[in-house]
Amino acid sequence: MRALYTAATGMAAQELNVQVISNNIANLRTTGFKKQRAAFQDLIYDHVRRVGAQASDQGTILPVGVDIGGGVKTVGTPRLMTQGTLSMTGNDLDIAIRGEGFFKIQMPDGTFTYTRDGSFQMDAQGRLVNAQGNPVQPTITIPQNSTGITINAQGQVTVVLPGSSTPSNIGQIGLTRFINKAGLQPIGDNLFTETPASGPPQDGIANTDGYGDMQQSNLEQANVEVVSEISDLIAAQRAYEMNAKVISAADQMLQSTAALFR
Amino acid sequence: MENALLVGLSRQMVLERQMDVVANNVANVNTNGFKADKSLFEEYLRTGAHEDNFVSSDRAVSYVLDRGTFKDFAQGPTEQTKNPLDLAIDGDGFLVVQTAAGERYTRDGGLQINNQGQLVTAAGDPVIGTSGPIVFQPTDHDISIAADGNITVLEGLNRIDSVRGKLRVVNFADAQKLLKDGSNLYSAGTAAAQPDTVSKIRQGFIEKSNVNSVTEMSRMIEVTRTYTQIATLLQQQSDLHKSAIEKLADVPA
Repeated sequence: MRALYTAATGMAAQELNVQVISNNIANLRTTGFKKQRAAFQDLIYDHVRRVGAQASDQGTILPVGVDIGGGVKTVGTPRLMTQGTLSMTGNDLDIAIRGEGFFKIQMPDGTFTYTRDGSFQMDAQGRLVNAQGNPVQPTITIPQNSTGITINAQGQVTVVLPGSSTPSNIGQIGLTRFINKAGLQPIGDNLFTETPASGPPQDGIANTDGYGDMQQSNLEQANVEVVSEISDLIAAQRAYEMNAKVISAADQMLQSTAALFR
Repeated sequence: MENALLVGLSRQMVLERQMDVVANNVANVNTNGFKADKSLFEEYLRTGAHEDNFVSSDRAVSYVLDRGTFKDFAQGPTEQTKNPLDLAIDGDGFLVVQTAAGERYTRDGGLQINNQGQLVTAAGDPVIGTSGPIVFQPTDHDISIAADGNITVLEGLNRIDSVRGKLRVVNFADAQKLLKDGSNLYSAGTAAAQPDTVSKIRQGFIEKSNVNSVTEMSRMIEVTRTYTQIATLLQQQSDLHKSAIEKLADVPA
């Protein structure tokens, strides 16, 4: 009985759906988090009677056929790269990106990763680093005892050096764009890496050429909307239950057939 | 002779197939752009064995046959996602997708951009515009898709929209002739695609599956109950034979 296996694909798909939704909800308060959703497609069809087949010598054709589908498959869990809302933190080293682009982070092994999470810190050498202590590219080193750190919309960092009254420019934080930002691979810690699907990174400067601008003392919230997640969760749970019901109904049919044989 | 058994069997086989259709609908209750299948039945008459000694003529035996499954092309509910690359088609139109096997059609508007900047489906097949694939430039942002399928972007620091193409939306005079290919795609079969100027594209929305779970569940109950009833009928028929054989063949000693 095909219905059993068809419903099983439905249950597996909805289980994955709940998994994706729960990850979105778990990251509701994760800075720079971009929500995912499960995308489903129907499986291959068995054309038992093909529509459009000739039904007679006169050339009449079947207006409808018998098509039996085999269930559902998950085609991907694309990430929705929409803008999250900005929230004011008052912290000098928090930066939010408004628009396109990612911060570029250098990992300990020399490779680069990309993030929307702009909650930066200063390390022992005065470098601007992310929460894991990896430096932001290009490396910005804030001189000791300097005050008044200002980061403008283009990412230029200015500080007031000790003994000086005018601010001086100490570097510029860059942004990186990808033609297909949804194709980046998440590696945890709010970081993404480049993949063949994302296209090569294009380094640039904030507020130019379609790059977003930087907002100091702000953080980008996750773009997860609780209301839509909860309604998706309800829909997924009910769909799971209904698929389970189909399995028990198919089982019941098989049972009554088996009971014929005594 | 065994007509009751065979008629019952024909019904059970048809019910089993209907159950498969229901199961596929339920499995795709969360598949974007999915269109439900419905089963059609017809009576299949067959003259049985003749017995000319009766006053009235023999009646033909009536079997049941599933004539077809038709696709319910009713509009599915739309959900707002606010994702600029999600689009729902309001009307009978289909998006045109270029696959390795040729042109295919879809109602699933959850689109993506690939590494060459092309507009593609979730499976990676390019979505075709009126003049070939729709390609975005690296500096494009703020993609806007108009109701007529016109795609515009802001390029770099420009404040004026640049056109990136127009989605090709087609419809079919006889959409029932479309063949479901799986992967949310339809192939044209014997149907002819014609440009659709009536359908409206809604950006930031997605069309959900049009499977009505209440209908599917009640149909499922109906199928199982009927199937069980037929099984009981077959059982009774078989018991009848059994007792007939036992009683009639019982040769008194």
